[in-house]
Amino acid sequence: MTVAFPKQAFPGRVLEVTLPAAEGGTPVIVGGQNALPLAPEGEKHNPVAVGMEVGTGSGEIPPSLAHALGGREKDPVSLARACEDEWGASFIFLSLSGCHPDNGSQTVAMGAKLARDVLAAVRCPVIVGGCGDEEIDAKLFPAVAEAAPRPVFLSYADEKNYRLVGGAALAYGHGVVSWSPIDINMAKQINLLLSDIGVPPERILIDPLTGGLGYGLEYTYSIVERIRLAGLSGDAMLARPVLCHLGDAWKAREAVDASEPSWGDPDVRGPRWEEATGWACLAAGADLLVCRHPGNAALLRGTSWR
Amino acid sequence: MALTALEIYKLLPKTNCKECGLPTCLAFAMQMAAGKAGIEKCPPASSEAKERLGAASAPPLPRVTVGTGDGAVVLGDEVVLFRHEKTFHHPTAIAASVSDTLGEEALVERLRRITALSFERVGQTISVDMAAVRCDSSDPARFARVAAAALSGAGKPLLLQGPASALAAAVKEVGASRPLLCPPPEELEDGAKLAASAGLPLVARARGLDALEAALAKARAAGAKEIVADPMPEDAGRAVADSICIRTLAIAHRAREVAYPTAFDLGGGFPNPFAAACLLVPKYASLVVLDTADPAELLPILTLRQNIFTDPQRPIQVEPGIYAIGKATPSSPVLITTNFSLTYFTVRSDIEASRTPAHLLIAECDGMSVLTAWAAGKFTAESVAKILLDGGIGGQVEHRTLILPGMVARLSGRIEELSRWRVLVGPQESSALPSYLRRLPPAAFLPANG
Repeated sequence: MTVAFPKQAFPGRVLEVTLPAAEGGTPVIVGGQNALPLAPEGEKHNPVAVGMEVGTGSGEIPPSLAHALGGREKDPVSLARACEDEWGASFIFLSLSGCHPDNGSQTVAMGAKLARDVLAAVRCPVIVGGCGDEEIDAKLFPAVAEAAPRPVFLSYADEKNYRLVGGAALAYGHGVVSWSPIDINMAKQINLLLSDIGVPPERILIDPLTGGLGYGLEYTYSIVERIRLAGLSGDAMLARPVLCHLGDAWKAREAVDASEPSWGDPDVRGPRWEEATGWACLAAGADLLVCRHPGNAALLRGTSWR
Repeated sequence: MALTALEIYKLLPKTNCKECGLPTCLAFAMQMAAGKAGIEKCPPASSEAKERLGAASAPPLPRVTVGTGDGAVVLGDEVVLFRHEKTFHHPTAIAASVSDTLGEEALVERLRRITALSFERVGQTISVDMAAVRCDSSDPARFARVAAAALSGAGKPLLLQGPASALAAAVKEVGASRPLLCPPPEELEDGAKLAASAGLPLVARARGLDALEAALAKARAAGAKEIVADPMPEDAGRAVADSICIRTLAIAHRAREVAYPTAFDLGGGFPNPFAAACLLVPKYASLVVLDTADPAELLPILTLRQNIFTDPQRPIQVEPGIYAIGKATPSSPVLITTNFSLTYFTVRSDIEASRTPAHLLIAECDGMSVLTAWAAGKFTAESVAKILLDGGIGGQVEHRTLILPGMVARLSGRIEELSRWRVLVGPQESSALPSYLRRLPPAAFLPANG
């Protein structure tokens, strides 16, 4: 007697997207599957890609994370190099957070130069994120798009700035991360808008906004599942790879607070908080995970299955 | 998969006798497919039709109860594969293991550590649910003694893992507490007979789904009624694949022969137990057993479980009212937010981080966040003014100044008009509250004059 696995034939397939690498580097290829994550069925050619976040801001980082990064967080170029060479990140998410007035007030020119320096220092694919200040990002994205010596993904385009970010990406041959605030209809809408202005579908990733463990993760979990089910059921605008940032996990008090001995060692708890966020995103269907802790890059990548 | 109307129709007598109250058999089949009628309304149906169609309308996943009273743990009894379709009802039970080879002091310490795995989060208590007593000693009497000690020491329902002889000895000691019996695969039949005669739930274990299906049939044949299935995977990837397979067969395909709650033992050298637990909580495990009792690992797992098993239609709420944070005095600032528990606890912890004592007003908003509640007309200038005037805060502070969430700054003018309170617009994000509160001039909260 054999138990037949309940094969579910989906009409749709997630579009395969390539994040290009420099010469000698390994591009990241994600998507392409016609099945739900973790189930032993369907075709899943590409494993989940695990990248690491490199920030440029002056903000403090939690001690348990700082221990693991060994002081390199102060120099984005050397941090990016360590992420690729020592910790096995498949790609770098360079957050130009230092251009924000509260986080370093670097000029747009400095931000663009940092992007160029990091791109020269690593061979793996790079996604470049803005600083979160609308006015500054409006200048920063075109400057980064122009300064980047090789194709990157710009993160992110939303309903307000999609023309600007999409336009900058189109002009210089970059990709775009489309962002929506845990809302499947807006996720679809922004992808429609990007396709209207001519951004090719194989150059778009979906960022559904990731809440950290304990602080809204369940909303992200269900939105990623719904995006994936909609895409596999044939909605082409949602049949795109999904990127989840795990960094929000480090904002949780439970991840970093050292004053509660009954919660256990913060050096264990912090990374576990981020790791648990990562497994939940992976179970929901994420294709790319961006973590901050070096140990988690290895743990989350160590999945030959997906 | 639930049967379609046509598939049901083929099994019906097709005589259009109208005994069911509907004009045709096809109309009745359509009602059945929609779940609005049962085969019992069709007396002339063949016994084959009754059996097949009766099974199709039974709940997809049986319910197994372990333990008694308030601490009882319910396994299974789920109806959807994705929480957004409705909700998941019964959180994955987490068991921490106890070996029967521990010495007396070590045993007491282990039980103390398991009991300590209990945390307060967003107004709920999240804890390890069960103690899993393992027979590593091969001594039934010792196993029974440790089981009794675990029951009284941890005060949680028990999972008993050991050979049938040890289980029998333990059942004499702790059977009344309704433990879950878990014999090794090769002693399944004896274990199942014991479970049947004592009326206790049983874990049927066998590696791989084919062997598991056979084991489940054997357990049923031996008389076990409440059964939990353990496919004994060798790693996290296999575990989650087996779990998805069993639950999908149960819910989407109504495959009765494997439709059972599942248990996964992630102890005893199982590789990457933390990762496996984090994947199995959202992906359908009914029970996982862990060897670790480290709060730094259990707090994330229990929090993940709390997140996933929150009803998507009913966010966790807190009681509306006035909450004093720190040693709040009549000149402490007054803030307001909604009764969505995540909003409340985030704002609360940010106020605490500012070390500024304050009064936090919680508005009744059906558990929505500030922006959602504003958009839904639940958090309005009128409702805020009503709280300021009628909610009792006026008697607790001498000033008349409110800090309003920055997201709803547009309400400030109307609130001032309606309540005669002064409104300061706070930050858009709660995370900016510590620096905002520290920068507030104390003069902002001087007593109101006249």
